[in-house]
Amino acid sequence: MSTQPTASSTQYLSFIIAGEEYALGILQVKEIIEYDTVTRIPGAPPWVRGVFNLRGSVVPVVDLAVKLGMAPSHLTKWSCIVVVEVRMGGERIVLGLLSDAIGQVIELEPGDVMPPPAFGTPVHVDYLLGMGRMGTGRKFVLLLDIDKVLSDQEVLAASALSAPVVASSEPAAPPTGSSSSSSV
Amino acid sequence: MKPELEKVHAVFLTETEEQLVTLERDLLTLESCPGPESLRAAFRTVHTLKGGAAVMGLTEAVELAHTLEELLTRLEAGVLVLHSGLGTLLLQAVDAMRELVGLRPVAEPDLRLPAKDVHSLLASTVEAARPLASSAARGCAERLGAESHTETPHRERTLRVGLDRLDRMLDLTGEISIARGRLTSMLSQAHRYSPQQLLEAHREADRLYLDLQELVMKVRMVPIGRTFQTFTRTVRDLCQTTGKLVRLEMSGEDVEVDTTVTELIRDPLTHLVRNAMDHGMEPPEVRQACGKDPTGTLFMRAFHEAGSIVIQVGEDGPGLDRERILERARERGLLGPDEGRPDAELFQFIFEPGFSTAQRVTELSGRGVGMDIVKRNVEMLRGTISLETTPGKGTTFFLRLPLTLSIIEGFSVGVGEETYVIPLEHVVECVELPQLERNPGRTGVFNLRGEPLPYLRLREHLSLGGEPPSRESIVVIGQGRGRAGIAVDTLLGQGQTVIKPLGKPCQGLPGLAGSTLMGDGRVALILDVPVLLQQVLKAASSAAAA
Repeated sequence: MSTQPTASSTQYLSFIIAGEEYALGILQVKEIIEYDTVTRIPGAPPWVRGVFNLRGSVVPVVDLAVKLGMAPSHLTKWSCIVVVEVRMGGERIVLGLLSDAIGQVIELEPGDVMPPPAFGTPVHVDYLLGMGRMGTGRKFVLLLDIDKVLSDQEVLAASALSAPVVASSEPAAPPTGSSSSSSV
Repeated sequence: MKPELEKVHAVFLTETEEQLVTLERDLLTLESCPGPESLRAAFRTVHTLKGGAAVMGLTEAVELAHTLEELLTRLEAGVLVLHSGLGTLLLQAVDAMRELVGLRPVAEPDLRLPAKDVHSLLASTVEAARPLASSAARGCAERLGAESHTETPHRERTLRVGLDRLDRMLDLTGEISIARGRLTSMLSQAHRYSPQQLLEAHREADRLYLDLQELVMKVRMVPIGRTFQTFTRTVRDLCQTTGKLVRLEMSGEDVEVDTTVTELIRDPLTHLVRNAMDHGMEPPEVRQACGKDPTGTLFMRAFHEAGSIVIQVGEDGPGLDRERILERARERGLLGPDEGRPDAELFQFIFEPGFSTAQRVTELSGRGVGMDIVKRNVEMLRGTISLETTPGKGTTFFLRLPLTLSIIEGFSVGVGEETYVIPLEHVVECVELPQLERNPGRTGVFNLRGEPLPYLRLREHLSLGGEPPSRESIVVIGQGRGRAGIAVDTLLGQGQTVIKPLGKPCQGLPGLAGSTLMGDGRVALILDVPVLLQQVLKAASSAAAA
């Protein structure tokens, strides 16, 4: 990243969840750390993976995949925790987001950010700030509205028209006709 | 002024200053984004201010606060609209408040009004906005109590510390730095020493760390009596305004608690005292008619009990009106029309938001800023509140609070991969679960020296999965008279446990009191014994019924 960010461009950090590339505004990200021992919390919502020790404070880890209505993430050697500061119920709190891998730091001009389409995205459009276009002919990156994702009580299912997304790291599901159209 | 009173006055000024700043902020928020949240916040602050001013005998300030409350109630009811002129007036009222309690006003000189003028302006505004129906206003005043959450502002907190204690700390830090240096040099030459020698050196340093820790905790401890004393005036003034005769008795003033506890306990205690004076105590003639001493007794007691402090606030009034509470619970739909409840459960209803059995809203209590707030404040301190009441004999509230909010003695147990900590104060004993009495499943009963003791298997209860080992241990936990067992895989022993709050999405889960960090850096959860006990006993009784 040798280019100087121009005044109007914004930097984002991208990361991978269930094969899709998502991104957050870089100012929300405090640090990225390796996935270490996480203590499970009995009775916590299913999207809370547990808590871990971040230099002496106890920080919850959220499995965004579950929060976004997908299957729980599987741990690999690339798994890591993105530590972010979010607003929840009017308070600023520090949380860890479990992601399958870290992508890159990307810079987007305001013109590179499109409004999300009405349907077809892997996550519900309410959770997206927009779609970022990286370079020419590259795929889009999904810009997450993380505060909204976390403050929603229930999981909004994706409004995709395709079959339900099966996380790539999942063991292959029994073949029950993967081309079956999901009822929408 | 007497020296004691001077001290109280100094505390009052510091607090009032803070509250006025908070109120100003609330009012400004109210102007920028009107909503019930900020209204309630402002209302609560004014209410607290009023209480404080009443303690110090500042009648004018009390009246002003009261008028302010009225005005806010009108705003809530929607019979008044907040326009900029009214906003200015409200902020001027804050300054008038400052003037009346003897603090310096902060507004620009040309915006200032004498407190008297502000008060009369406020009063006329209130008068002009007669509520359309008084019931609506009352309903909203009750709703004000049903409050869920406010952000506590960050503020400077002070504590007086004797210089000799600080000197001792400094000495200890000096000793610790020497010990650290010695350890560093030994470890860098580790091959020249035996492990025993190294451990010995560490143990010597360790003693110093513990001394320092104990000293720091001690410095934070203050006698609860200071908090109690502020209520002498409250009771005296309330006697004058209500025409009741009440004697305040205190005991256990020298019981020490962490300064944070005293700060946070003041509000709940104020509510309890006012409530006892207002609802609890009968007028002298009524007392005499019942054959009681016309002068009632209000008592505040404090004593230590198993690592907590217990504070009692009680009176020898008529006791809680069981019928009235039953009726009110049915009115509010908390109980079915013919449904009954055992007394203990029934009286818990008074801690429900907006549950006031007062026939009339008085200046003292009522207004719905009530018992639910008390309960919430106490629970925020990891404490519990309960009550005992006898018809004709009076009512006593029991607050049980931890002595410190940060470090407890904990007893660690292992279940599979996980470690859990049980506060040592609740651990009665540990025994092995006899082979003959093991049965699979979440709960069971075993024979402890001839007594049947229900137990709960933590592995099943927290759905951790996996198989229990061939030998399980039981930790017998107790609180008050309740006893139950918790079946775990291994006992890991006791140690000091630093409590860390759990983050937002994990807060308020039943059965968990918080978390702590272990030596290897992992997080262990601290179990909430009172809740677990209830769960075991409930499960045991339902199993017995089946």
